[in-house]
Amino acid sequence: MLLISAAVSAQRAPSAAYDSDRKVKLSGVVTRIDWVNPGAFFFVNVRDSTGTIANWAVEFGNPLDLEKDGWKPSSLHIGDTVTVEGLPARGPARQALATSVVLARTGAKLFVASNKPIAKVASQPAPRGPDGHVRLGPPPGKKGYWGTPSATVLVENTGATIPMNRDGILANIEDADKVAPFQPWAKAVYEYRQRTLLKDDPYNRCMPPGGVRHFQSPYGFQFVEQPEIGRTLLLIGGGDRNWRTIYTDGRPMGQKDNLVLTYYGTSAGRWDGDTLVVDTVGFNEKFWFTNGGLPHTEALHLTERFTRSDFNTLRYQVTVDDPRTYTRSWTGGWTIRWVPDEEIQEYFCEENAESTFVR
Amino acid sequence: MLRQVFQLGCLLACLLAYMGVAVSGFAQQGHPLTGTWNGDWGTAPEHRTQLTIVMTWDGKEVKSVINPGPDSAAGSVSVDVVDWTVRIAADLKDPSGKPVHVVADGKLEDLGSYHRTISGTWRQGGATGDFKLTRE
Repeated sequence: MLLISAAVSAQRAPSAAYDSDRKVKLSGVVTRIDWVNPGAFFFVNVRDSTGTIANWAVEFGNPLDLEKDGWKPSSLHIGDTVTVEGLPARGPARQALATSVVLARTGAKLFVASNKPIAKVASQPAPRGPDGHVRLGPPPGKKGYWGTPSATVLVENTGATIPMNRDGILANIEDADKVAPFQPWAKAVYEYRQRTLLKDDPYNRCMPPGGVRHFQSPYGFQFVEQPEIGRTLLLIGGGDRNWRTIYTDGRPMGQKDNLVLTYYGTSAGRWDGDTLVVDTVGFNEKFWFTNGGLPHTEALHLTERFTRSDFNTLRYQVTVDDPRTYTRSWTGGWTIRWVPDEEIQEYFCEENAESTFVR
Repeated sequence: MLRQVFQLGCLLACLLAYMGVAVSGFAQQGHPLTGTWNGDWGTAPEHRTQLTIVMTWDGKEVKSVINPGPDSAAGSVSVDVVDWTVRIAADLKDPSGKPVHVVADGKLEDLGSYHRTISGTWRQGGATGDFKLTRE
């Protein structure tokens, strides 16, 4: 159950799409299975007390997580009878997020998370390249990528405790002032987004996770370092499966007025000891740059510091400078764990837009 | 023939569905007033004057250009973010070329929507009417 909730948040905030204060129980015959990203769905014909049949869409997780837990598209078949318990969608759609799926003919519970503990990896020093710099990617001949972040929200690093869920929805809206030094308009927008449970989040519609957001998303990211041509590619495993180019050839940071504004901006990096410092400007205003709905403008300038403190740990620190949105620059961050011996799996957000966005 | 109509219908439905996603995707998510707003004002439904207002937020104030082009005018904009009421004031020219002062008091609606709107009362010289602007 926990896995299902976590998997769904891969692209959408469950709290925006589903009503956790209500429950729904459905029994019926499976008519279709969409084993695609960002959320796997099956469709089930449910007969009500009057004999009328209605087709429900049931979201039951993300294929990557489901497959990691041993589930396959063949775990369920068209024509199977199932009983589903879950959270109904907000609004009139006949849609639910499954918290339990039971196959009638066997009584087996389907799509249950394995909850396998994360394997402990022996501590090692960070790998280094021939030039002595820390490698942010895997050493030669090895596989691996950066996976689960220690936090999925960005707040100013003041030490304050701010209860919120993993989507960034505050437990107490009065805590908004502790999140970041908002200008009045930005605080009002942030609170509006919070009160409406992030329903307008462009990320929910597969828009790119620009800003810091690709470091908060599931399915990780990978550095591909190419010092010989003065750049580092950052391959993004989640969201729209995009990439960033961080130029490390000494060029100055771009000037916003001369840039085509984009979701990921234009990045220039330099080494400060064992830390890669990346300045990025040139963001457009078509996305939310972090979970939770913090606003930004085209003036956004991010200074990111990537420090591989040991083989398995990446410390990520970001300073947000957007004088049109915040009263001063501010800093937050988290750590990210190395996923050894694996590659980023194929994930594209858009595949079942038909099921999730148009229905 | 029926098949062609059906195919056309499917094509149109797909196009609309695609546009529904795409339009949401291109929404401007920064300061809610930033952007180009189109609409009209008038003293009656049959007496309408088209309006285009371009607003930008520089971090301290919202600036506006009313009807960009040869007859454009700069307007001052104030906004109360508590209830998102907006006042736009400017000196325009009437059809005869005479200067005329304009004050528009409206309310921003559908804050999270790409096609958010501002509507309210438009006072131009001695005339009072209503206006509605939609962010394009």
